[in-house]
Amino acid sequence: MKKRFNPIKDKSSEIIEFLMTSPDMPDDEALRFKLRLSIEEAVENVVRYAYDGGIGWLEAGTSLDHDSLVLTIELRDAGIPFNPLEKDDPDITLGAEEREIGGLGIFLCKKMMDSINYRYENGNNVLTMSKKIR
Amino acid sequence: MNITINNVDNKTLVTLDGRLDTSNADQFQQDIAPLMEGDKPNIDIDCTGMTYTSSQGLRLFLSLQKSVMSRGGKMVMRNMNPQVKEVFDITGFSNIITIL
Repeated sequence: MKKRFNPIKDKSSEIIEFLMTSPDMPDDEALRFKLRLSIEEAVENVVRYAYDGGIGWLEAGTSLDHDSLVLTIELRDAGIPFNPLEKDDPDITLGAEEREIGGLGIFLCKKMMDSINYRYENGNNVLTMSKKIR
Repeated sequence: MNITINNVDNKTLVTLDGRLDTSNADQFQQDIAPLMEGDKPNIDIDCTGMTYTSSQGLRLFLSLQKSVMSRGGKMVMRNMNPQVKEVFDITGFSNIITIL
């Protein structure tokens, strides 16, 4: 199932809840925690940075492969072309003084999901995140 | 996210309850403002009721830790649920913040 949200300014919670209540989502609480975190970080990235002033759309969807039980979350927007996966991972060995505040969102997605991919297609940023749910 | 702050003797006892996410991070930042003041703070945060945190929450805990250190104080977080603890572990925050 998928849905287009427009505009997306201040709509993060609504978009996250739409995805979390998809029938494709598992019931297991530990899995839902990881999925919610990945969804929140990825959605927030689009809502905050994809469009100047947040005026634009985001299409959010889920799909479940019933054979492999792999859940895929797809986010699509027509904002500024941006591949979040090109960003360097934060150095998690640094002490508090050296650690920068921020830069953790996509890193958490990478750690929580099994795979995460980005493509630029027909003027859209398309981010897909997959996780085996059984 | 509900937060209670109690000053007992020379210790500041903080209790967190609920989910810390993008919808309430700004409010939480205001709520913890009192913890960002004073010399040599001794802050003890009970996370028993904290069910979730995103990077928005981590960002604020890092700010708080930096603030506490710069004022010569100390801070501990305790009773984290395993999933929240995993987020702190993965991001290296467990090495920065004392988690009991």
